[in-house]
Amino acid sequence: MPLKNTNIVSAAQTKFGALEGVTLREMFSEAVDKATIDAGIPKKDIQAAFIGSFIPEMLIHQGHTAPLLVDFAGLKGIPATRHEAACASGATALRAAVMAIESGMYDTVLVAGVEKMTSVSTSGATEALAAAADDQFESSIGLTFPGVFGIAAVAHMQKYGTTEEDMALVAVKAHKNASTNPLAQFQKEITLEKALTPRYIAWPLKLFDCSPISDGAAALVLTSNDKAKKYTDLPVKIIGSGQASASMNLCNRSDLTSFSASVEASRAAYNMAGLEAKDMDFGVVHDCFTIAEIIATEDIGFFKPGEGAKAVRDGVTALDGDRPINPMGGLKAVGHPVGATGTKQAVVAYRELIGDAGPNQVAKHDTAIVHNFGGTGASCVVTIMRRGDA
Amino acid sequence: MSEKPTVEEYLKNIEERMFRAYRCVDCGMVIAPPSGTCYGCGSSKMDWTNVSGNGKLISFTVIHIAPDEFSEEAPYYVAIVDLEEGTRISARLLGFDPLKPEEVKLGIPLKLDYEKGKSGKTYLAFKPA
Repeated sequence: MPLKNTNIVSAAQTKFGALEGVTLREMFSEAVDKATIDAGIPKKDIQAAFIGSFIPEMLIHQGHTAPLLVDFAGLKGIPATRHEAACASGATALRAAVMAIESGMYDTVLVAGVEKMTSVSTSGATEALAAAADDQFESSIGLTFPGVFGIAAVAHMQKYGTTEEDMALVAVKAHKNASTNPLAQFQKEITLEKALTPRYIAWPLKLFDCSPISDGAAALVLTSNDKAKKYTDLPVKIIGSGQASASMNLCNRSDLTSFSASVEASRAAYNMAGLEAKDMDFGVVHDCFTIAEIIATEDIGFFKPGEGAKAVRDGVTALDGDRPINPMGGLKAVGHPVGATGTKQAVVAYRELIGDAGPNQVAKHDTAIVHNFGGTGASCVVTIMRRGDA
Repeated sequence: MSEKPTVEEYLKNIEERMFRAYRCVDCGMVIAPPSGTCYGCGSSKMDWTNVSGNGKLISFTVIHIAPDEFSEEAPYYVAIVDLEEGTRISARLLGFDPLKPEEVKLGIPLKLDYEKGKSGKTYLAFKPA
């Protein structure tokens, strides 16, 4: 049965990037203000907050962040809980908020995601990120996050003939889309030649195959059908939600060319919505690495296994293609403040669906899928959204 | 080999170059790295087992940018290896030039080995058979 009662009525993000001098609580507060006051939604209407954040303990030496953040943002006294699923933290917060509204417990809630990563050195951030992999069995032999996706890339190249150039084309597309997104970390197009610069991070992945280290926050206001009219004439309905887990270490997976949690979460979300991949007008997927976007578009059923790279080559996933993917620039070019990403992806889908994406607007925008996965793919959350009047 | 296997002991065995896998007491499935329950039958009764050390290369990467602990060792190979006994493990790959990964072919036969890292740790590793 499709979800019936959950509406997104506002959505906003801060700029993503190295936000020097801006603390975690300040970027959170900015995103909340944009999603509430600036959207005509009084903060007093917010009954609870669901916040995605990955690892502020290691990045800014701060635990128990949810109450600290809502207090700073003027949401005094409301229930506030942090949700953690590595890079999928933002979408697990969104999913918890959806359940809270569908259950009837609350009418109007805040979903937010936030991460401050540039407060530590690159090696400090790498170490913090590595905490999302299996420490005892994989990180301990020197496997890194880019390494995990390097292994997936090698397997995909061997099985399907995907090439380094195919992956580079994903980066070129991401930078092109982000070039007209003023909130993106990188707003400059890159050539294919530049994307192929052989600065290897984890062979065959190069610098331009990897999403950057970023700061940023995003926020959504969700409300029930009865209250939605009070805030907007054009809500976006959340009609399907799926979540799955998988083995954290790669060696326990029988297939390295697909992420089982992505397949299972997307099928669960489609089933709930009563829709199929072909019914989606566009997709917002987790492109932490270029190969991750190619595999995600196959896992969510946009393309058959092994045909994701061809779709990129043929321009099918371009902003003006038949099945646009990451129309605002993805994690790759907009940035990847880990805990904020899942919420930011929902912000992108919302803006595209209501026709508010400016130069990044996709042509068909009734229904969208949002795919957010965590760490090595051990968590995945998929959300299906449809514009209220569609 | 009747004591109940533990993760601590599994890691110590690697450090001492005496790799052993878990084996499900109920269905005989060989499991490594350790799992609390058998992937085959769901049993949580485990025992130790020795393995042949014969394996096959499934996939790999070359780590160029490594965490501080391993940075002096970079670039180095990390591989996913299918053991003859039917389980998969992650390990270092030895015997290939990390700057010529194009020369490594998936599916090649491998043999269990160990590598003493500059970090002082001993890693599970494989070399061409």
